[in-house]
Amino acid sequence: MKRSLINRYRIIRLAILLLFAGMLLGSCKKYLDVNTSPNAPTVVPPSVLLPTTEIGIAFANGNDLDRATSAIMQQIAGVANQTQGYDVYNFSGAFDNQWNGELYGGSINNCVALIDMDSATSPAYSGIAKLEMAYAFSMLTDVWGDVPYSQAGQGNKYLYPRFDKVQDIYQGNSSLGIQSLFDLVNSGLADLAKPGALKPGKDDIIYGGDLTKWARMGNTLLLKFAIMLTNVNPTMAKSVISGVISGNNFINSNALDFEVPFGTSSSNQNPIYNFNYVNRSGDQMLSSRFLALEQSLNDTLRLARFFTKPNGVFVGFNNGSNAPAPTQATRSQYGTYLIAPAGNPTALGAAPIRLLTNFQVNFILAEAALTLGTPGDPNQLYQAGITTSMQKVGMAASDITAYFAANPTVVTLGGTQQQMLQQIITQKYIAWCGNGIEVFDDYRRTGYPVLALPLNPGGDDPSVIPTRLPYTNGELSTNPNAPNPRPLVDVKLWWAK
Amino acid sequence: MRKHKLLWSSLFLLFQLHLFAQTRTITGKISDANGKPIPGASILIKNSRTGTSSGPDGSFSLNLPATAKTLVVSAVGLSSQEIEIGDRTSFSIVMTARDNTLSEVVVTSLGITRDKRSLGYATQNLKADQLADKGQVNLVNAMEGKVAGVNITGASGGAGASVNINIRGITSFTRSNQPLFVVDGVVISNDVDRTNGGPNGTLGDQQPANRALDLDVNNIEAINILKGPAAAALYGSRAAAGAVIITTKKGGVNGRSEIVASTSYSMQNMEGLPKVQNLYGQGSTGIYNPASGNSWGPKFGATPSIANGLLVGGQPVPYKAYPNNINEFFQTGTISDNYLSISGGDAKQNFILSGGYTAQTGILPNTSVDRVNIKFGGNTVFRNKIKVGGSANFFNTLQTGILDGNGASALAVIEGLARSIDLTTYRVKGTYQNLDGTNNWPIPNQDNPYYDAYKNPLKSNLYRIIGSVNAGFDATSWLNVNYRLGLDAYTDRRKQIFAISSARVPGGQDLESDIYRSELNGDLIITAHKNDFLVKDLNITGLVGQNINQRRFQVVTAQADALSIPGYYQINNGTNFAVGTAEQTTVQRLLGYYGQISLDWKDFLYLEATGRADESSTLSKSKSTYFYPSVNATFIFTDAFHIDSKILTYGKLRANISRVGTDAPPYQLANTFVKGSYGNNVANFTFPDGAIAGFTLSSTIAPNLLTPEFVTSYEIGTNMGFWNNRASLDATVYNTISTSQIFSVGIPPSTGFTTKTVNAGKMTNKGVELTLSVEPISTRNIRWDIVGNFTKNVNKVISIYPGITSFSVPGSAFIGSIPTIKVGQPYGVIVGGLIPRDSTTGARLINSGTGVYATTIANQILANPNPDYILGVSNTFHYKTLSLGFTFNFIKGGQILSFTAASYKSRGAYVETGKDRDKPWILPGEILTNGKYTQNNIQIPAQTYWQTLGGLQSEFNVYDATVFRLQDITLGYDLPASVAKNLKINYIRLSVFANNVFHVAPNAFFDPELNTQGAGNIRGLDLQGTPNARTVGASLKVSF
Repeated sequence: MKRSLINRYRIIRLAILLLFAGMLLGSCKKYLDVNTSPNAPTVVPPSVLLPTTEIGIAFANGNDLDRATSAIMQQIAGVANQTQGYDVYNFSGAFDNQWNGELYGGSINNCVALIDMDSATSPAYSGIAKLEMAYAFSMLTDVWGDVPYSQAGQGNKYLYPRFDKVQDIYQGNSSLGIQSLFDLVNSGLADLAKPGALKPGKDDIIYGGDLTKWARMGNTLLLKFAIMLTNVNPTMAKSVISGVISGNNFINSNALDFEVPFGTSSSNQNPIYNFNYVNRSGDQMLSSRFLALEQSLNDTLRLARFFTKPNGVFVGFNNGSNAPAPTQATRSQYGTYLIAPAGNPTALGAAPIRLLTNFQVNFILAEAALTLGTPGDPNQLYQAGITTSMQKVGMAASDITAYFAANPTVVTLGGTQQQMLQQIITQKYIAWCGNGIEVFDDYRRTGYPVLALPLNPGGDDPSVIPTRLPYTNGELSTNPNAPNPRPLVDVKLWWAK
Repeated sequence: MRKHKLLWSSLFLLFQLHLFAQTRTITGKISDANGKPIPGASILIKNSRTGTSSGPDGSFSLNLPATAKTLVVSAVGLSSQEIEIGDRTSFSIVMTARDNTLSEVVVTSLGITRDKRSLGYATQNLKADQLADKGQVNLVNAMEGKVAGVNITGASGGAGASVNINIRGITSFTRSNQPLFVVDGVVISNDVDRTNGGPNGTLGDQQPANRALDLDVNNIEAINILKGPAAAALYGSRAAAGAVIITTKKGGVNGRSEIVASTSYSMQNMEGLPKVQNLYGQGSTGIYNPASGNSWGPKFGATPSIANGLLVGGQPVPYKAYPNNINEFFQTGTISDNYLSISGGDAKQNFILSGGYTAQTGILPNTSVDRVNIKFGGNTVFRNKIKVGGSANFFNTLQTGILDGNGASALAVIEGLARSIDLTTYRVKGTYQNLDGTNNWPIPNQDNPYYDAYKNPLKSNLYRIIGSVNAGFDATSWLNVNYRLGLDAYTDRRKQIFAISSARVPGGQDLESDIYRSELNGDLIITAHKNDFLVKDLNITGLVGQNINQRRFQVVTAQADALSIPGYYQINNGTNFAVGTAEQTTVQRLLGYYGQISLDWKDFLYLEATGRADESSTLSKSKSTYFYPSVNATFIFTDAFHIDSKILTYGKLRANISRVGTDAPPYQLANTFVKGSYGNNVANFTFPDGAIAGFTLSSTIAPNLLTPEFVTSYEIGTNMGFWNNRASLDATVYNTISTSQIFSVGIPPSTGFTTKTVNAGKMTNKGVELTLSVEPISTRNIRWDIVGNFTKNVNKVISIYPGITSFSVPGSAFIGSIPTIKVGQPYGVIVGGLIPRDSTTGARLINSGTGVYATTIANQILANPNPDYILGVSNTFHYKTLSLGFTFNFIKGGQILSFTAASYKSRGAYVETGKDRDKPWILPGEILTNGKYTQNNIQIPAQTYWQTLGGLQSEFNVYDATVFRLQDITLGYDLPASVAKNLKINYIRLSVFANNVFHVAPNAFFDPELNTQGAGNIRGLDLQGTPNARTVGASLKVSF
């Protein structure tokens, strides 16, 4: 009797245990269904991607690529760390951040996402994205030469993007399925003209959703691309520029400039300020060579907008010099124009990154009128370029007039066509201070301004000023389609002189 | 209330009865055949629960009830004896070894205790006395050099710095390769949680702890290390990298209460920094510059002149050497360690209550660890059928650290500090800050190191609970059902502050981060055992089990930047919250089903098979269930063939094949968008842009299908005992193949993404482990034990992904020296630039314009951090109750890239840089001109020479990490039993000890056993971290 009781208890206990185990197993399916991330969304509206792409192209333009090209172009001189290396052509380990995280990732991939979003409802976003993407790709190909273009930024679709040739990127290649940069811009312009329910507003931090301004940006982009072809396809250059002139819908006032605003908050500052004044204030300063050029042109009022004048004197440093740098407090560093927005010199870090400008348009049209015979008077356009640049940096109208009066030979084209071209490009070089990529482009295309090698040059070829930047380690080590070995930095690009 | 009274009075009565029942006391001593005392032997009165265990000197005393007739004496590895008591009051008991065995009971997977002789795989056991009294705060440190097959590297001598442990090499490309830590059957976290140290991120943090730091070494009874996948197969995926099974002290089984109290005090000093020159001070090219961090200025004693910068305004500037300015930054650390435990009961009913308090101040200013540890555990048996037990462990660990890492950190400033800077004044006078609280330091973009230490600390305050309950039930004599529920949960509240004017974050920052982690495991295990199954002498044990596992993690960070009020560190003092403020939450779950069948034929042939199926929440639905088996066999040939040799006492062969599957981290299956940001520590932008949000595609492409990782392992080994087990050998060779790795493979960034999650790749680890134990002397009074452990592991990455030959180890590293997974190479080689060479002579090429080396070629292997082999030798001498133990550790090979070394050289602080400064120097190498190589003859100044050799990521800063170290030394003295007895105590043990006593690194001018990033898959990088520390101390342990 007692024994059977124990057995019964035992059975009950076992049953309870099994029941418990069974309950655990029974609830498995829901139990394991916990793999949806609460941390990151899988779908977002276009309004949160557009700002990322706009800041992206500006950040890429004003960050490390700008420092390297501005040092190569001897507007700044490196005194410490990476910029010091760039000064003497040591680029090892550089530019992965720009290639990976600012251009292909950040700008281009999100532009692709914007274009892929329902273009029936948001052709405005698609149009803007195409124009931005064209700008981003032009930075890539102008700096590095052959780059992934037609297959780039599309993730799984092309896991090993092909390196398209510079000429195919600029001119297209239908047999390879490559749309030219010009056609990409035109396609963007066409999208902008389509009706659509969804339009950007304040999320468009550049133009506040004003699509007519974007159309001007697109046409100006065509001018910028066309002038790159002066050495290799002047016919195409001329026809594009003439077309844009007759369309008369490009950036023709400083107020329309394509520039990306930044903020004063420590996480929203433009990269030029953030680098030079917040994180790496000791790394770079005014080049004594740029100082000498500006002094020879009596252009120091404008220079004082580009660079600081501690204790009332400009202090530069020779590119590549091994001599000790002047103490930091006495160095000329980037000035108001590059760190604060026009008319608000105390809004430090909020200066826009200028990507397409009215002065640039004037210089392009001056050069085209001079060398390609497009409509317009070269000298008039040249002077407009200088004037609009001086206006842009905030010089008083009276100072500009005084400069023109005092320096007639500087502000008037003269001599041979080459000499006049040199004048145009030299002035463009000065006006673009703070956008090293633009001056690097013009230098390689025209050979102006005339620059000497830095002291102690090194790198791939210490005997010439680099004509491109080396491909990044990240791309070289992962993409079997990347040129191997990489071209040295003395190999000229297709459009170079 | 009345009920309680009744309870108390009955309890009181119980004790009274217990006392009254005792009639007389017997004493005795237990020793082996050689007269060597046997501690820890169990002495039980037959047919009762009353008993005791022998003390360290083998002695015991026991109160006998009147009914007692027979004593049962037993000890691990020795034959049990029954002794008639009769009228004797004193016993001298000699125990003999069990015939031809080398027997040891060890705790294996899932807490199953096994006789070691039956195991078909390698394990190694460490006992309390091999770990305690070494002055180690971190348990993992205490294991270094003592286990074959295990590679342990500390991050540094910093207080609380993490320690890396890899068993049998690295088996997973990107997942944690730290072994599973299990305490009393509860899986616990040994994770390292990092907190960004300002814009340098985790490259500049303060060496956070691995969470095994929370465990109190005093509380540990034994550790069994399950080395291979076979040993850990029942743990499944979590133990693919091996397991460290920790058993803590239990309530006494001797029927008596015991109080153990111990206290220790140690002092620590910095150890292993390079020697410095004291001939030249601050400046460059021989010219004094007070704003320079380098020592390339004029010679001390030089006549002041305007040209050399020592004459300013007609007055000479003060300029002299401060030979100890680096060393004096480091302070004497202290470790105070106190422990108390109260335990009681017998084999069936027992409890333990223990508490520990450890207070450490580090070798760097304002660094500390404070640790409180409280444990309560108990076991009971109901009606002789149901065993119920449980324990609750409470931990509170506080850590304060200062920043490491290249750049502006205190360590980066200190290492290679200019020789003419008087650092001590800043500390003594408190002038490291100006009157307004800002940083006072002459060198731009750096902090005064004291300022960094006192004003920019990272503090961690961790509360942790590890608890378990288990209930077991013997359904029949052959069937046991057991359920165990274990929980480990902690919350770590971190606070990182940067004062306004700090070099890294000039605007100031207050970062608050709450880290929560928990793991819950429930295991139902049903075991059946039958002797003489089917045929005589065939014993079978079968086991089926079910596991339910849940892991949760959450980190919520609020970061306030651009502070307004100096010295006020609250989130509301910030004006910008966009950077760093974030939340991350993960949960992953797993259900496992497992089984094991063990066959034992005549105690000399064992065969075992296991299988486990897991279903994970993190894998693709169609592949979420996966099965993996293992099989192992053991053959004790000395018993099988009745080998009765004087030389070969015991011989065992074992072999196993096993496979273990591992699931993925959570949330890998969908493409996502994340908050947008650009740049790095030199310039950066983070959304929102004012009030405008910005998102970006995540840089990783989700996989098409995600299946488990697998590790397959083949292992054979032997255990042999010689000369009556005076010498024994444990040897293992293994081959481990990791396949179908889950990782984010680097893809061309031009895709718009930098990684794609895939299942691919293959990596092998082949290795040898040897443990040789010898007892050269074993007499009544003198004993000498030697244990040598040899570890050799060869890792090779066989393949990664079609088209991909290398990708970087996930984690933080500087571009230019990236730990990389590269096909054909061992895991984690550091990839960077190498100077091009003349292909025929191998000489490095010199730039003909500058006389320094040509620009490096990128993507070359700079360093291989994997050692060739590791040899650890422990010696223990006993003379009566005096013991002396010490451990040597020899690590052969492996390389380290040292930013510290680079800094000492390029800044002109290293002793060699003071030599022949005035003479021209020529770098060894060749110049290429017009296709011809000529010997370099370009003279350069010493400064240029050393700065060329001192480039941070240069091949000249890769050093062979071979190091010989006297790891620890302990001198212990036990008060003789007779004296102790008079004092009415069980034992008193007094120890003095030292660890990291000295090292010899033949090829490095600093201690190369460092790893700034600490525990994790990134190894071989010293990014200007804390140096190592030497500890000397004493401890006293008393048992009542």
